[in-house]
Amino acid sequence: MIKVLLRLPSARIAIGVLLVIAVITLFGPVLAPYDPLQGSDLTLAPPSAQHWLGTDYTGRDVLSRILAGAPLSIVSTLEVAGIALVLGTIPGILSVYLGSIFEWVSLRLIDTLVALPFLVFAVAMTALLGNGITQAMIAVGLLVAPLFYRVARAATLTVAQSQYVEAAVLAGASTGWIVRRHVWAKVLPPIAITLATTLGLGLVVISSLTFLGIGVQPPTPTWGGILASDLDYLPQKAYAPVFPAVIILVTVLAFNMLADAIRDAAGQSGRVLVGARAAKANRARRVAA
Amino acid sequence: MRRSRGRRLAVSIGKPLAVFVPVFLLGTFFTFLLGHLSGRSPAYIQLGDAATPEAVAAVEHEWGLDRPFGVQYVDWLGDIFRFDLGESWFNGHSVAEVLLDRAVITLSAAGVALVIGVVAGFALGALAARFHATWVDRAVTGFTTTISVLPPFVVGIALVAVFAVSLDLLPAAGYVPIEAGLGPWLSHLILPAIALSFDTVADVARQLRDGLVSTKRENYVTGALVRGLGPRRIFFVHVLRNGVGPALAVLGLKFPALLGGAVVTEAIFGLSGYGVFATQAAIRGDVPAVQGVLVVSVVLVVLFNLVVNVVLNRLAPAAARGV
Repeated sequence: MIKVLLRLPSARIAIGVLLVIAVITLFGPVLAPYDPLQGSDLTLAPPSAQHWLGTDYTGRDVLSRILAGAPLSIVSTLEVAGIALVLGTIPGILSVYLGSIFEWVSLRLIDTLVALPFLVFAVAMTALLGNGITQAMIAVGLLVAPLFYRVARAATLTVAQSQYVEAAVLAGASTGWIVRRHVWAKVLPPIAITLATTLGLGLVVISSLTFLGIGVQPPTPTWGGILASDLDYLPQKAYAPVFPAVIILVTVLAFNMLADAIRDAAGQSGRVLVGARAAKANRARRVAA
Repeated sequence: MRRSRGRRLAVSIGKPLAVFVPVFLLGTFFTFLLGHLSGRSPAYIQLGDAATPEAVAAVEHEWGLDRPFGVQYVDWLGDIFRFDLGESWFNGHSVAEVLLDRAVITLSAAGVALVIGVVAGFALGALAARFHATWVDRAVTGFTTTISVLPPFVVGIALVAVFAVSLDLLPAAGYVPIEAGLGPWLSHLILPAIALSFDTVADVARQLRDGLVSTKRENYVTGALVRGLGPRRIFFVHVLRNGVGPALAVLGLKFPALLGGAVVTEAIFGLSGYGVFATQAAIRGDVPAVQGVLVVSVVLVVLFNLVVNVVLNRLAPAAARGV
């Protein structure tokens, strides 16, 4: 499937962008040309050779702040997606196998989590439980988990009702064996799609929280926090929010493109895609010969 | 005939109630549990960090916090049904009264956003379905895909930067009550409402387009065409009425997002609605105030979804019959 994925141009663009973001995340604080916390007399300066993206209201270099803010923003996004993956997928698969009481209770829990106004609860949970980035990630991860639960449950249901699983049960296979052998293969592609979507969503939510000053303390640089400080100085520098906004948007867009590409590469449509390409190549070879 | 209509209404309320009563009970339980787990106490807000253990115990006894968890929960839940959300630990004001003033602002913004979402979403969706598989359809789909990935805080800041700061057309911040006139009220709400509505516009347009396109292929639409009915009548009576279901259902799902988005848009546009109130109260550790906001938002979501369900059941005759 990964081979098919890499043949899609959109997947290659998405992966390329995400690699750049990964480099920024790993080496951002080292690459930053200035100290992201050190102010100077040069406040709200436009982009120049010394300060590529200009400076903010206390004269701090905006490029350095974006680079230094990358680890916190991206790593917490990854952890949100990881927490949601574990909290959603495992109960989602088990809800099909563990009997109707577990199924009913877990479905009602998921209904409730979906109906809650997401950001209000994320803000309330994070701030009340100690206002740290760890609390923020657990709160958001828990609130995003229903996405994984529903996808995993739907995929598992189609497998559980199929004839080859029925045959395996009749042949005496255990539930654990069926989950490992048959369910994973069917559940994995939709989970991968959801994971890519969740990473985009997670970055938006983490940026929203840091924008509100929830989960971090100033002057810690975060992408959302940079936006918030730019907002106060719009009359002086109206284009300032463009830089942090663009990097958030590009990252979210890359995650969404990756999700679409996995959807295209997985399953039936992926096989058709490979088949069509092979047929085209064969035709070209025959014409040449 | 009369009886069957009555029964249909009862089913259309009863069935979602079976889903939403557990949602309400679990949602309020989460809310209470959250306050309990936070370990916050009114004693530290009132007395400061240097309070003696005896003084803390005295304040907690005064607020009834030394009772068992179950007793506190049942007491709190009972108060909710009497519209009593307790008093703020911070200044002793009635949370219900403070929230009522705040909720008017939030609901105004969410309401205007909902109207924009429905009007623009329906217009775009109907346009794409009418010109299905032409460049109009592709342009609308491209537009809705683009606006659906834009986060509300980016849209909000862009709107302030362009319309309030650069062009100076609309006020950048603040709220004017509707008694001061419709014009000033709307001019303060239109930018936050647009920022909130993007996601709803995109989803409603997408669902309506798909719904209308698939309904057009149904047998009863072909039948109506064969009977020689006019295109306008076919569209409004046959296609729209049966194809609108998914778009309405998605509105029910989007409402929590509209209420939740208020937290960010209110901060950008300087509206002192319940989102800003929730953030401030949560940072201060004012547990009753935060719980009040959460309970009100759960109740609003449940009520809105019940209304959507009733409308859905009244609208879609063919879907209910299973034609």
